Amino acid sequence: MIEKFREWYENRHEYQKGYKDRTGNKIVGYFCTYTPEEIFYAADILPVRILGSHEPQDVTEPHIFSMFCPFCRDVLAQGIKGRYDYLDGIAIGQSCLHLRQAFTSWDLHKNPGWSYFLPMPNHVQSKRAVPFLVEEYRLLIKKIEELAGRRITDDDLRQGIDIMNKARQVMKEIYEFRKEDNPPISGTEAMYMTCAQFFTDAREFLPVAEDVKRELASRRLDRDPGKRIMLVGSENDDIEYINMIETLGERESVGCTVVVEEHCTTTRYFWDEVDTNIDDPLRAIAERYVSRTPCPSKDWPQRTRLQRILELAKDFRVDGAIVIQQKFCDPHEADIPFIRKFLEDNGIPTYFLEFDVTVAAGPFAIRTEAFLETLEAEEDLF
Amino acid sequence: MIIAGIDCGAKNTKSVILRDGKIIGKGMTLTGFDQASAVKESLDAALKDAGIDAKDVDKISGTGAGMEEIKDASMKVNEIRAMAKAANYFFPSARTVTDVGAEMGRAVKIDERGKAIDFAINEKCAAGAGAFIEAMARAIEVELEEMGPMALQSDKSIPMNAQCAIFAESEVVGLIHAKTVKEDISKAIHDAMASRIVSMIRRIGVNEDIVMIGGVALNPGFVGCLKRELGIDRVYIPADPAFGAAVGAAVVLKEEA
Amino acid sequence: MAKYTTEPLRCWAKAKELRKRFYEDFKGAHEKGGIRCVGSAWALDAVTMGLGRDVYWVTGEPYGASCAFDRPLSADFLAAAENFGFSRDLCSYMRNYWGSIIVNKSAFGGAFPKADFAYTQHICCSHGKWYQNACELEAGDVPLYVIDVGVGAYPPFQPEMYEHRLRYVADQILDSIEWMEKITGRTYNDELFFEACWNDIRVTHIWAKICMLNRTVPAPLDEKSIYSLYVFATLQKSRGQFAEFYEELLEEVEDRVKRGIAAVANEQARVMTDTQPPWGFLKIYRYLETCGVVSIGSLYTFGLEGMWLYDEEKNDLRPRPMPPEKPRSREEACMMLADWHLSKPQYQHFYHPEYKTKMMDAIAKNWRCDGIILHYNRGCEGLSVGIAENRLGLLQRGNKVLTYEGNMGDETEFDLPATETRFDIFLESLGLKKPEG
Repeated sequence: MIEKFREWYENRHEYQKGYKDRTGNKIVGYFCTYTPEEIFYAADILPVRILGSHEPQDVTEPHIFSMFCPFCRDVLAQGIKGRYDYLDGIAIGQSCLHLRQAFTSWDLHKNPGWSYFLPMPNHVQSKRAVPFLVEEYRLLIKKIEELAGRRITDDDLRQGIDIMNKARQVMKEIYEFRKEDNPPISGTEAMYMTCAQFFTDAREFLPVAEDVKRELASRRLDRDPGKRIMLVGSENDDIEYINMIETLGERESVGCTVVVEEHCTTTRYFWDEVDTNIDDPLRAIAERYVSRTPCPSKDWPQRTRLQRILELAKDFRVDGAIVIQQKFCDPHEADIPFIRKFLEDNGIPTYFLEFDVTVAAGPFAIRTEAFLETLEAEEDLF
Repeated sequence: MIIAGIDCGAKNTKSVILRDGKIIGKGMTLTGFDQASAVKESLDAALKDAGIDAKDVDKISGTGAGMEEIKDASMKVNEIRAMAKAANYFFPSARTVTDVGAEMGRAVKIDERGKAIDFAINEKCAAGAGAFIEAMARAIEVELEEMGPMALQSDKSIPMNAQCAIFAESEVVGLIHAKTVKEDISKAIHDAMASRIVSMIRRIGVNEDIVMIGGVALNPGFVGCLKRELGIDRVYIPADPAFGAAVGAAVVLKEEA
Repeated sequence: MAKYTTEPLRCWAKAKELRKRFYEDFKGAHEKGGIRCVGSAWALDAVTMGLGRDVYWVTGEPYGASCAFDRPLSADFLAAAENFGFSRDLCSYMRNYWGSIIVNKSAFGGAFPKADFAYTQHICCSHGKWYQNACELEAGDVPLYVIDVGVGAYPPFQPEMYEHRLRYVADQILDSIEWMEKITGRTYNDELFFEACWNDIRVTHIWAKICMLNRTVPAPLDEKSIYSLYVFATLQKSRGQFAEFYEELLEEVEDRVKRGIAAVANEQARVMTDTQPPWGFLKIYRYLETCGVVSIGSLYTFGLEGMWLYDEEKNDLRPRPMPPEKPRSREEACMMLADWHLSKPQYQHFYHPEYKTKMMDAIAKNWRCDGIILHYNRGCEGLSVGIAENRLGLLQRGNKVLTYEGNMGDETEFDLPATETRFDIFLESLGLKKPEG
């Protein structure tokens, strides 16, 4: 059912290069989910997120001090190794310090001829953020128009909004199925889908996703769902890990299913839609990016993510949460003790794992299994 | 003129004797806790190998982590300078030299006279030094000398954890449990270490010809992985590369005199 | 026979007294019905001065550095933070600060004094989180206001500082004034605000002028001493006493230049550094000095608070001229403060390392540096962001560059002997020798 998504995930470059040949459109690689994809679609430019390849590498040390997260270095390595030479541009919406180094080093050493740093506001809880962001979008549009070779109209923007919203809607509808007692789609499969979103034209993604949605209505997985687990994280496309823990049940006495995630490779990326009731499309887009579930680096002075995480945990009836932190991720590290305490105070046990580019399969399996067993023991008390 | 060069390293103390710039004797001993004794023992071994007495030596040059203990040295040469000069001595075409020892990895960019232009040191992480290979050899129960040749017999690429030697060790345990053959594990270990050294070399730029000194240069598995990672056909390794820094120190003193 | 004459600074005693009084004022604020404020050294403290003449501050970064000076105490704080669940790779100032709250001990003795509110800014991805967590650790009843200043680089690095960017910052300041009135119950006094705003501009302008004097050979100031002097601009930019002090200091340093007084009697070579130093190990500067090397400063000491503008054509860095007149309306003061601070040199690299490379190269060339020493500071992501590209860029521009890893506020990540060895190697490449013995 998800073969197409897996293919897109594993062969992203083939798809993206082929897309250019097929459509004649330009492609801009972006680094952070605060990049307004709607605006690129409005200009007929395909925005693709750049993720790492989970391979150890030795090319970024001259460019990024190794105390910055492995993810940003993995991302930069893709550029340095020439895997993205077909890009027409790169862009980033400002959030954390780590990832912006992948952007700036790429800009210095592998500049595709067009690059843009959007100062996405950090004070998203202030009423001043939206008017500021709208003006920033106007500056961005001027630059995008240079790349696209044409003007962008409000109707183009509305079209871009529609393209992104439709993909978001279908993903949320698919996620509904994960609320079932025996979810017909595993966490691994869902992850392939959400990641495939990054690498494809949302309009080509949509019909395949719609097919999945239809199929899920009658699909039954022949497996014991085990414990219902939620992942809370920074940036994670650690499909290897998810697959390993979801197949634990085949080998051990406990198993689990990842039923929902709160990180920027899944729900923080697609959950919030642009409100089409707002007349001015540029303001509508700005409202969406300002009010979406924030990256921890923007989640102050109130820690609004706590409520969001709890809501998801309750809606998806999770038994426990695994906090998967990208090693060295400062914004997330500042939040973690409070997230764990909040979840535990609300009856959701948590476990913490620190991730790197490659997954230490053995040790992580043992620890996750032990965590799942503690969830078992809690039930036995009653 | 007879000059002795002594490298008092973290694990081994190496001495060389040069007569008019030619190597006539070598001696090595474990450094242990008593560095001063190790220095004397290693120098005695080198003198014996050269067939001369201590009084025949005109001057002594010292280098290495324990160089303060080389009391008779008329000159103390820092390791970077010693490495640079050694590479130039053995291979005048050298422009990059690496020295991977028991606990430290270094890379230096040099000019045609053997002068250091830029350098990088990796002293905070065991995963980029010989101690890593030793620990892994113990983990998979293979003799240290066999580790390198074993790695050459594998053509697999199993990625090991990017960041830390300690985690790498638990990954090796995982590989053993997954019934991975020792050759493939050995290669993965060598690849991981070579990757760290290559990362360090890239900081100063990859300029051929590349020379490797230090004990780890004797490990064919490591050398093979390094060449492949750098994408080059040839690295230059002097005979007895562990004595490289000692030779460099002696040559520096000779040139100053 | 020393190469140059040297003299201790006359204002040294006064500096110590001013600093002591600053912390005492904060501690004793409540006794006189005053207000205690905390926030980042980059916070727009001038705005809080409109609440009255009895508003007292402690800023987080100098506090963190003070913790780091006392290594055993700092170890306790760091352990407490780690036990709470905070990761060791987080900013070491923050960890010292949070640890201090958790064990309820101040680096200056006694309990950790609780603030009435926290007022800070956000540009590095940890700034807002710092005080969010600090306030939460203080039983969650310390109100917090954070001003986002991450709006893009200042000219010449960007073609203009767009009006809407200034407005965004100025509007947040205006909003914060309403907020402060609400939580303190006080009526805001714009005259006091204008005065504080002008003090802020004076302090940061004069500091830059003082740093300019270090272009002289021999340098009248050495960086280790500079740390004790630049600190006033980090403690509280808007404090009038500090503006006066800097004016006195400027006069004294001008006098030193006139008389050829050197900071280091045997100055033979000059270097500049980067990022905060390992605060518990400032002796490394004295180590350099024994070899005749003076560190003339850094973009950090010059431009953390000092205000400068970069001249692209001349590759030069010069003090930013003060605005022609004091602000006369609240709106004008907010815009003036926003514009002034957005030009801060140490804000620019957040947008691209190239901007910092240019400014650092300008310092190296105009302050006649023979080499540059970069502290790859694990304790501060904000000032280390892009540092590897700075290194490459500076090498490309013909500079000699040394790097060493360490941590400004966590002694477990600094290796003194290894660092000294690196210094030896570097000094040798500059043609200098370590003195015998």
